[in-house]
Amino acid sequence: MTRQVIGRFGVGGVLAALALSTALQAQDFKLFNRTVQVHGFATEGYLHSSSNNYLTMPTSGSGSFAMTDFGVNASTELGDKVHVGAQFYDRNIGALGNWHPTLDWAVIDYKYKSWLEFRGGQAKTTLGLFNDTQDLEFIYTWALLPQAVYPVDLRGENIAHIGGDVLGRVRVKKLGSVAYTAYGGKQPSDMQGGFVYGINSPPTVPVVKGHTTHLASYGGTSFGGDLRWQTPVKGLLVGSSFIAKDLTTTGTNYYWNTQLAVVPSPYAKYTKADHTTGFYSEYTFRNFRFDGEYRRQQRETSTIQSKFSCVAKTGVCTYASPSSSASSYDYRYGYVAASYRFTKWFEAGAYNSRYIAAAGTNWDLPTNHIYDQTIAAKFDIDRFVDLKVEGHFIDGNGGAKVDRGFYPDDNAKGYANVTDLLVVRTGFHF
Amino acid sequence: MLDVRMNRIANNLKFLLIAVALAFVVPQCAVAADVKVIANSSVTATSVSAGDIKDVFLLDKDSLGGSHVEPVLTKGGPAHEAFLKDYIGRNDSALQAFYRSLVFTGKASMPKMLASDAEVVAYVAKTKGAIGYVGSGASTDGVKTLLVK
Repeated sequence: MTRQVIGRFGVGGVLAALALSTALQAQDFKLFNRTVQVHGFATEGYLHSSSNNYLTMPTSGSGSFAMTDFGVNASTELGDKVHVGAQFYDRNIGALGNWHPTLDWAVIDYKYKSWLEFRGGQAKTTLGLFNDTQDLEFIYTWALLPQAVYPVDLRGENIAHIGGDVLGRVRVKKLGSVAYTAYGGKQPSDMQGGFVYGINSPPTVPVVKGHTTHLASYGGTSFGGDLRWQTPVKGLLVGSSFIAKDLTTTGTNYYWNTQLAVVPSPYAKYTKADHTTGFYSEYTFRNFRFDGEYRRQQRETSTIQSKFSCVAKTGVCTYASPSSSASSYDYRYGYVAASYRFTKWFEAGAYNSRYIAAAGTNWDLPTNHIYDQTIAAKFDIDRFVDLKVEGHFIDGNGGAKVDRGFYPDDNAKGYANVTDLLVVRTGFHF
Repeated sequence: MLDVRMNRIANNLKFLLIAVALAFVVPQCAVAADVKVIANSSVTATSVSAGDIKDVFLLDKDSLGGSHVEPVLTKGGPAHEAFLKDYIGRNDSALQAFYRSLVFTGKASMPKMLASDAEVVAYVAKTKGAIGYVGSGASTDGVKTLLVK
């Protein structure tokens, strides 16, 4: 069954993508005597898992094709120094995205010199090796980037900021070159992403008696920087990133009492500290490529919500006055990856991705880690179309409180400790 | 169950390691073509360093000798392969990925890419600030050839 589905998907999807890419190769037009470039991409994925539903899709059983995304951009040059453009992005990945189009980026960029450049608008956030390019599946060996660092469901948490960047590259004679980026602004909130989905999901549905939270908004400011050194060793790059956030989450708590009456009360969560520090390296040698990243995220939050009390005889519940509670989190995650391009049309690779949900507790618990050993093959069918086949051998699920691929709502019977996952993904761009 | 899984992973990794080892042993195909770096007559520079060529084609630098420059590439062929090997240090696939990463994040426009040396020469000849490369045997009428220091 699975083989048939994959076969149909592979042939049909690739042929459709080929036809579409051929039709969409015209990409320049003139507007007010300026050349405007139009580029776009689209991908379609199929996921099938041995156990555990993954990324909000019913991947166990016969699998799921509910992994589609696309983006279209237009850009032009205003003189020699100014570049302007915008991109729209949309996706439907299981219960995420839900075909709500978003402005992915819209920027005006002024390059004074190679060592000093200014960018304003909604800009992709530079964080580690691939944060700003994570949607561009066609430039990677992988169908899914290492999910410990680039989780598909939490894409919206770091993808962009509305504000400004200062960046540049300084050549340091024989010591290579150093590129820097500093940025700050408002974080666009992804109400269709995994963060909201994870919180809004009640532990069981329908709730006979329980306590759930529904978010109305979340967002705030973020600032950070990135420093990367292209070393004198040919092909070796090392770098470090930092991002800090100040987010406010608001919503409503609902308590369903024994008589199914709903008792609402305000809910708010404030970030007291949210810092992520990362280190990364990339090395290319001939057709080899090696990447590695490590990050640590430390968060402290203050949650304001009301505690409820119920009268046993009547089952009627009421909320007391709101009170504040503090929580702290320490996440560690990273990956190492290696790939090799065998021919112009074929490359393969493997990575090991590791996520620790609570660094202060036992890392060996399946509820405290997600270890993902992945092997991948990429076929470049032509310059604009690719097909990937990827196997993931996932150990752990990070626990019920971690929204990272595995959600309690999608796995109502509980989690298995291991998940074997097949991903087939095709994409085209122009 | 766990043993079976570990064996599968081990076998896959073995295959990858063998492939990696083979790739180191098997000599890479050498590209023997020479290239000339050419520019529009508006470019004031008469010579250029290999580092500057790399910076221009990786879109880090947009001027040479005070003149604004715009890189022009060929889509493939011996001159293209030689140019990438000698000056850019990336294969075509990696270079295309690099350009796309800039285009799809709003950082730059895609450089002009043409099908042949003749098209590159014609485009460079008529486009202010254009800088490109062609095979050493190609006619370069109407453009200036830059000396690479």
